[in-house]
Amino acid sequence: MTSPATLRAAGASDNEPGAANPSRGRRAGGRRPRSSRRRGEGRAAWLLLTPWTAGALLLTIGPAAVSLYLSFTDYNLFDPPHWIGLRNYTAMFTRDPRYWDAVRVTARYVVLVVPIKLALALAVALLLNRKRRGQGFYRSAFYAPSLLGASVAVALVWRALFSTGGTVDHLLSDIGIHTGGWIDQPQYALYTLVLLGAWQFGAPMVIFLAGLKQIPGDLYEAAAIDGAGPIRRFWSVTVPMLSPVLLFNLVLETIHAFQAFTGAFIVSSGRGGPGDSTLFYTLYLYQRGFTDFRMGYASAMAWVLLLALGALTLVLFGTARRWVFYAGQERA
Amino acid sequence: MTAEPAVSQRPSAPRRSTRTGTGPAARTRKSVLWHASAIAALLILLYPVGWLISASFKPADEVLANLSLLPHHATADGYRQVFSGVAGYSVWHYFGNSLLVSAGAVAGNVLSCSLAAYAFARLHFRGRGPLFGFVIATIMLPQHAVLIPQYILFQKMGLVNTFWPLILPKFLAVDAFFVFLMVQFIRTLPRELDEAATLDGCGPLRVFRHIILPLLRPALITTAILTFIWTWNDFLSQLVYLNDASKFTVPLALQIFIDQTGQSAYGPMLALSVLALVPIGLFFLAFQRFLLEGAAGSGLKG
Amino acid sequence: MPRAGRSRAVRRTALCLAAVLGLTGTLATACGSSSSGSGGPVSIRFVWWGNADRAKATNDAVAAFEKANPSITVHTEYASYDAYFEKLATQVAGGASPDLIQLDRATLGEYQQKGVLLPLDSYIGKTLHTSGLSPLLLASGRISGSQYAIPGGQTTQMLVYDKTLWSRAGVTPPANGWTWAQFATMSEAVGKATGIPGSTDFGWAIDWFEVYLAEHGKHLYTSDGKLGFTADDLAAFWNLTATIRSADGLSKPTATTKMDGSTANSALVTKQAASEINYDSNLTGYLSSYNGGTLAEAPLPSDNATVSGLAAMPPVSFAVSKRSAHPDAAIKLLDFLTNDPGAGAILGTTRGMPPNLSIRASVCANATSSTKAVCSYEDSVKSIVGPSFGNWPTGSAAIKRDFQQIYDDVIFGRTSVSAAAARVVGDAQQTLSQP
Repeated sequence: MTSPATLRAAGASDNEPGAANPSRGRRAGGRRPRSSRRRGEGRAAWLLLTPWTAGALLLTIGPAAVSLYLSFTDYNLFDPPHWIGLRNYTAMFTRDPRYWDAVRVTARYVVLVVPIKLALALAVALLLNRKRRGQGFYRSAFYAPSLLGASVAVALVWRALFSTGGTVDHLLSDIGIHTGGWIDQPQYALYTLVLLGAWQFGAPMVIFLAGLKQIPGDLYEAAAIDGAGPIRRFWSVTVPMLSPVLLFNLVLETIHAFQAFTGAFIVSSGRGGPGDSTLFYTLYLYQRGFTDFRMGYASAMAWVLLLALGALTLVLFGTARRWVFYAGQERA
Repeated sequence: MTAEPAVSQRPSAPRRSTRTGTGPAARTRKSVLWHASAIAALLILLYPVGWLISASFKPADEVLANLSLLPHHATADGYRQVFSGVAGYSVWHYFGNSLLVSAGAVAGNVLSCSLAAYAFARLHFRGRGPLFGFVIATIMLPQHAVLIPQYILFQKMGLVNTFWPLILPKFLAVDAFFVFLMVQFIRTLPRELDEAATLDGCGPLRVFRHIILPLLRPALITTAILTFIWTWNDFLSQLVYLNDASKFTVPLALQIFIDQTGQSAYGPMLALSVLALVPIGLFFLAFQRFLLEGAAGSGLKG
Repeated sequence: MPRAGRSRAVRRTALCLAAVLGLTGTLATACGSSSSGSGGPVSIRFVWWGNADRAKATNDAVAAFEKANPSITVHTEYASYDAYFEKLATQVAGGASPDLIQLDRATLGEYQQKGVLLPLDSYIGKTLHTSGLSPLLLASGRISGSQYAIPGGQTTQMLVYDKTLWSRAGVTPPANGWTWAQFATMSEAVGKATGIPGSTDFGWAIDWFEVYLAEHGKHLYTSDGKLGFTADDLAAFWNLTATIRSADGLSKPTATTKMDGSTANSALVTKQAASEINYDSNLTGYLSSYNGGTLAEAPLPSDNATVSGLAAMPPVSFAVSKRSAHPDAAIKLLDFLTNDPGAGAILGTTRGMPPNLSIRASVCANATSSTKAVCSYEDSVKSIVGPSFGNWPTGSAAIKRDFQQIYDDVIFGRTSVSAAAARVVGDAQQTLSQP
């Protein structure tokens, strides 16, 4: 039926009869020599990348290099930093139980929030993808939670909803589940943050919508002609064509989840409580760096996070070879 | 192309009425069902937003004590306080500042990230792979770790207490998120398009301008929407780089009302939060339409 | 365009762009940071944290100062508490330290120890006058024998309670000089009679532990920056709260865990306790957010007949940056804010009781509503208030946070009091031993 190979063929030959159709290879003789074309591309590339290079050097590489250096020092924001080698790293891994608490809390959060958020975003995007009456309204309505960002107002609302005696407590009690408030108990507090994160699924939803829109309608029609029903069409057309965007959302949402800060900060008043149950990694990093003035230690934490995320992303990209399809015939 | 050999010809009735639920009545039923479930889902999803709006009408002694949805004694006091000025400036002033910063960020991101993404996605040059890996790596470093070095840089350039540190980086494709996003979108476009244009004599820049850019509209719109909203709500950078209240943006104005160690003014804070939703809500409403128009088809239709 | 020409054009454009960027960078760096004038008009930066009321009052006071000193311009900046310190740390690290800085107990010790603050001794008696300040309070700014900060106000510990609920339990409202045993009995009685625990569990805050230690003749920290208490001391304190809590005299863990001293998270305001220990500078906040009952104030209990545990504490202090380009102007502003009667009237009680005694008298004489309540409470405990507790050294912020986090584990039953106390002491000693 419609496998990626078929799709590739379908996409490639799916040209309207009327359009100019210089298909591949026909005018091979008229092309510029490959090397010269590549040189031209190279030059154009560097020209196009000038702003990016400037930004990267000044605002990314520079500060990142400084932060890497600081991770090997005892920098406390005031005194000049002194080199202490790996002491920050060893202290972090062997003498700081709270560090591991933070890692555990963050890992639990990521494992919960990413699938839920992506599933919601994709489901809603699929539902909103068709021309319907009031689609603008619906799209905006589903996006509305994300408009709020993570502000003090949201924290207030969340605390009110999930406190003992709040709406969620009442609702659950009505159906016989007596957990008490979530936000003020160590065993449930993290779930309120998972819900907060998943609630604001607007960004991946919008990205999915954009991705869905780029899928050529002809592919669906071709599949329908072949007799594919809606489910089959989803798995054979939508998913493969959406897979680059899916990969993107998966990687980025995972990274964002590991770096989650503001939600935990505002809801727990910066403490990561109750009992460190919402002590996200970056929240602990912030506490060590800005409240305890141990910026060297905080920088070490940041780099460990970066390396861990880098490894995770490589794994994700590695698996992507199997399931991501690029119509542009480009490998990941 | 529309011939369907499997189905017998029917003179007047709709083609596939043998399958259940495709007649006009069924369509309406399905539509109603869809709308009903969508609205039900929205009611749950938007309950917190409703709570927020309702709380903005609660008097000071109810905001914290009354956990139910509706206020016992509704009051517009919060809004009145907000409109009478915050820290000596009118609400519109803060909205204007936020608008300036957000619009600048949108322009910067859309422009610079699309250029960079095209180079990474379509052009071959030495070191492309590692550099792109680097792009993704920059997303992974937490903001707090690079905050101070970046601040020192802007401090030495004398740009602190201006809007430049908030806008200038956007023109330098510093938001790797959007670079990566656009790369993925460009990769979904068949290379045949580029090749066709190249054969017609276009250099890479013209290919970008005439072929890729128009097809990239959904990604550009997405970038615009997300950049606008994220910049509007961005607190940390705006806190660190803006000193005078005259330059404050909406997130900074919001936290003026809060003081953990003293008396917080929740009424005006909630009122301002609700009001702050309006511009970005409108922005989204206006732009989301473009996510659908003009992107139908793969663009191979000439 | 012919191919060769196009690539040349590309190269030219790239070079132009690079040149422009490089030039801009150089120019920007050469222009340098904000100007520091020499003689003539002077510009200083004054920063504080607080809400809109405090901001308005302070800005008005600053305007009055500028009017009296036309050659000095003051740029003010303010933010909420967390944002303020995040920003201050960034600015100090970035070399853009403000001139006059507002600090609290934890950060004062920290910034002083890191050498950020200017010793004020040489200015006292000349441009900076402290004779009108309460001597009990002035000690709070003295560290290692030098005066590094001037208190910005005075506050004292208090118990704020719901008179209606307590009278429903038939217990005598707390009077001066009551003991912890009496407090326990009364709280438990209120809990039984009303269903609302008599008081907020106060074991979460190291501040109230400090009061307890003072009543037993001890301190949180010694004058050379070491820990002043043992695990046994802390265990006694937490066992006290455990006893009252088990008899429903203190708030449930779910309410206690939210406490941070603000009214937003207050167990009293959310009706999960019938009284609460806090500083009286927060009283106005309580009075405006509390509904359904009348609030009254009382001093804290003490088992020590001579030491009440109450102390004259500065809710905020003002210090001058050592790297200030215009310390004289900053000190002039500090002196004005502290001692000028007009400024005192404008600032009112936005930072607690005015530190200058004569200004305090006039502010209290003209006080209305909630400010009056604070004034009358301060007046009622005047005779039993002791001098400020000692300075908190570097690391105190981490210790304070650790204290609360470990107490969370205690109240939720995840650890025993003795193990928890040992852990607090162990962590604290580790923190204090680092430079």
